[in-house]
Amino acid sequence: MKTILELENISKFYENITALDLVNLNVLEGEVLSLLGPNGSGKTTLLRIMAGIEKPTSGKMRFKGVRVDEGDACQVRLRTTMVFQKTALFNTSVYKNIAYGLQLRECSKRETDEKVKEVLKTVRLEGYEKRQAKKLSGGEQQRVALARALAIDTDVLLLDEPTANIDPKNVSIIEEVLSWVNKEKKTTMVIATHNMFQAEALANRAALLIEGRIVKVGSPQEIFALPSKLLASYAKLENVFSGISKSTGEGTSIVDVGDGLQIEAAFDITGNTTVFVRPEDIILSTNPIVSSARNVFEGQIAEISDLGAIVKLRVKAGRDFTVQITKRSFNDMQLNIDSKVFLAFKASSVQMV
Amino acid sequence: MKKTFFIWVSMLVLAVIASVAGTTYFLRSSMKERLIISTTTSLYETDLLKAVETEFEAKYPIDLNFISVGTGIAIEHAQRGDADLILVHSPTDELGFLTGGTGINRKIIAYNFFAIVGPETDPAKIQGMTTLQALSRIVESSRNGTAKWVSRGDNSGTHAKEKSLWKDAGFNLTTLSKESWYINSGSGMGETLKKTDYFSAYTLADMGTYLKYQKDGLISLKVLVEQGKDLLNVYSAIAVNQTLHPNVNFGGAMTFIKFLISDKGQQIIEHYGEDQYGQSLFYPAVHLLKENTDPTIAQWIREYAFFNGTECPPEYRKGYAELYD
Amino acid sequence: MHPALGNEIIDGFLKALQLIFSGDPTVVEISVRSILISSSATMLSVLWGLPVAAILGLKRFRGRFVAKGFFHAMLGIPTVALGLVLYLFFSNAGPIGFLHWLYSPTAMIIGQAILITPITVSFITSAIESVDPEIKDLAKTLGASETEASIAVLKESMSGVVLAITASFNRAIAELGVVLMVGGNIAGLTSVLTTTIALETNKGNIELSIALAIILLLIVSALSISINLIQRRRT
Repeated sequence: MKTILELENISKFYENITALDLVNLNVLEGEVLSLLGPNGSGKTTLLRIMAGIEKPTSGKMRFKGVRVDEGDACQVRLRTTMVFQKTALFNTSVYKNIAYGLQLRECSKRETDEKVKEVLKTVRLEGYEKRQAKKLSGGEQQRVALARALAIDTDVLLLDEPTANIDPKNVSIIEEVLSWVNKEKKTTMVIATHNMFQAEALANRAALLIEGRIVKVGSPQEIFALPSKLLASYAKLENVFSGISKSTGEGTSIVDVGDGLQIEAAFDITGNTTVFVRPEDIILSTNPIVSSARNVFEGQIAEISDLGAIVKLRVKAGRDFTVQITKRSFNDMQLNIDSKVFLAFKASSVQMV
Repeated sequence: MKKTFFIWVSMLVLAVIASVAGTTYFLRSSMKERLIISTTTSLYETDLLKAVETEFEAKYPIDLNFISVGTGIAIEHAQRGDADLILVHSPTDELGFLTGGTGINRKIIAYNFFAIVGPETDPAKIQGMTTLQALSRIVESSRNGTAKWVSRGDNSGTHAKEKSLWKDAGFNLTTLSKESWYINSGSGMGETLKKTDYFSAYTLADMGTYLKYQKDGLISLKVLVEQGKDLLNVYSAIAVNQTLHPNVNFGGAMTFIKFLISDKGQQIIEHYGEDQYGQSLFYPAVHLLKENTDPTIAQWIREYAFFNGTECPPEYRKGYAELYD
Repeated sequence: MHPALGNEIIDGFLKALQLIFSGDPTVVEISVRSILISSSATMLSVLWGLPVAAILGLKRFRGRFVAKGFFHAMLGIPTVALGLVLYLFFSNAGPIGFLHWLYSPTAMIIGQAILITPITVSFITSAIESVDPEIKDLAKTLGASETEASIAVLKESMSGVVLAITASFNRAIAELGVVLMVGGNIAGLTSVLTTTIALETNKGNIELSIALAIILLLIVSALSISINLIQRRRT
């Protein structure tokens, strides 16, 4: 595959902060590249430089082989576009928002109308033309922002945590759209994300950025195979526990993570290890759970977060667990702070970091 | 995109400039010649000038613009060339205006009298006294707390008169004006009368303004000391020297002066106020001075408002010899 | 002394309404002139104020802080002080006396425009600054040039611009010092609502003054209300 965007020794300094330090990265045409890294690692800065709205302090950048870091990054801006983490919409109708980029490129009214309709269909917001953009829900707003970016058919689409702070339903719509766009339109995409599952699902390659430096580039799996608690902290994993694992001799291990908590995992390892369990894999009940699950714990609800369709709970069961249930279940079980609950998850749900 | 934006902007800018220009043109007076007259407030606020204006503009294609300010400011306007003509009533200041070179062709057009007016109860009991006696009594009573005085305090002709009277009565105005009962109005005759009424005080007023305000029910003060040589009030018109200020409308000014001293003009002055107020507010001066119809008053005027035996010494005249005998 | 104060006011009020509804020519003439002069002044001040505010709001340059401070300070300039300065300028003895604009509506329009420019500039600059800073970058990433992106920001600050225009017009039509000093309150030529109210009260034309005061209030209210309604309908 050809290289569409080439970054050579890109550095960015602000007053006394080094945002990026000698970053070397090639973006291949048609790929989906995921930028991983903790907060403040420089992902946003890197994306902004790629988008041409920020200039590197030093280094070279080439777009389709042509130097673009000197002078006005006009060319880059016209062929790439970026979707911001905090949705930025003009205070006007959905139509006018999406049409903005097209009008800059002097499209006729007819062309603009058609294109707007087409992208709204893609993001599944047909008929939303006349609605006031800022009055839509958070998820819908981000979809409008995405539609706006898609409308101008750029070569490269840059996304900065596009689904952070969005409710799950919209998250899945957006992820599907991105997948589709990459497949159908062959648009190159660079997505900064915290969500390793998203990275795995969408991206072919991933680059790990820590404190302004690219630490590793490879497939998402390779990145996640890196042994470190560091990975866990920025992958924003929940339910991460470190401890000493002892093999049971039957293909499983018991990991003692402290505070009286012993977790049975479906792998055979002895020694220091770090494991985690996805919140969705944990079953919660107000009654003792009878199942084949090997990990059953009793606990108390410490915190409730209402995310609309789902409810996230922090449960104290020796250690803190983050559990996720549907709103319906939450209401059915009539849960409150301090409610006594039972948690259960399979040994196979326990993953190693 | 940029192109359409700039087209819009240019159109908007043009639209703004066009409407502002259009408005200015619309609001401007007609293409008529314009005469700016700075006048003493007593002539303006009595609406005498309105009557004059109506007649004059019916006859001549000149737009009269009166600016009512008071003698002192009127002279200042003229010094800057901001007025074509002034109508004032303070001979001392007028002489300075002439000798300074800015004023030319002075003509006395009218006269009336000042009066000391005050509350009906007349706490200082000055009714019937002579002017200077009355002033002394007022000071006495005021210091006792039974009376107050309101002064124009605005460098107007009336104020000038007041100042000279205080001087003649033997008072030092600088110290007198600081005393608690001495109120500085700092405004025109009308406003001063209203303040005098409000404070139940005494003041020096010209009869013209007093009569109008009295009859219009705006004040309920009484005339307590009137007539007499020292209360004479003489109005004159002075044009502005075109040599010094080339932009002034000298021709128009002279036309207006000639109108004021014409029979028609004098007639307007003579009869103004008769119907509304029962008596005229002003008296015409031209015929009086020329024919000496009332020798006493004519003599008073000559002594009070003439310079070197004439209303306008020859060195301050420019053309229009027919105006002077 | 005077009749009961209450009577006078009510009487005056009623006579004023009569003057307004009968379409008294003087009342109409003075009101129209006021509106025309202040509107023109507002348009002028926006014409030169908007670009200045755009630069102050969008560009970072040295001395920006000082410039903003200057306009903020001029917000409170006393009208008579400005009126005096302008009078000296327009006066025949002054630097631009050759234009002969003193005592004319032209001088009043210019004078008011100068008076309200600090309001226009300060308000619009503020409006631009409160636009989400990401908007500019967003526009750029959609392909906008520096100029086009600035325009996008300006568009986002439109409601603030409208407020600026309203505030400027209100200040203009309600001020006395400037129009009095450079206009001279000449009947039939340069008399406007404020000058007439102030000075005709003296002449005893109380009804006229009250009528004009009511009209002044109506004009200002009507403008504010209609702006409000229009903005409500847009959002």
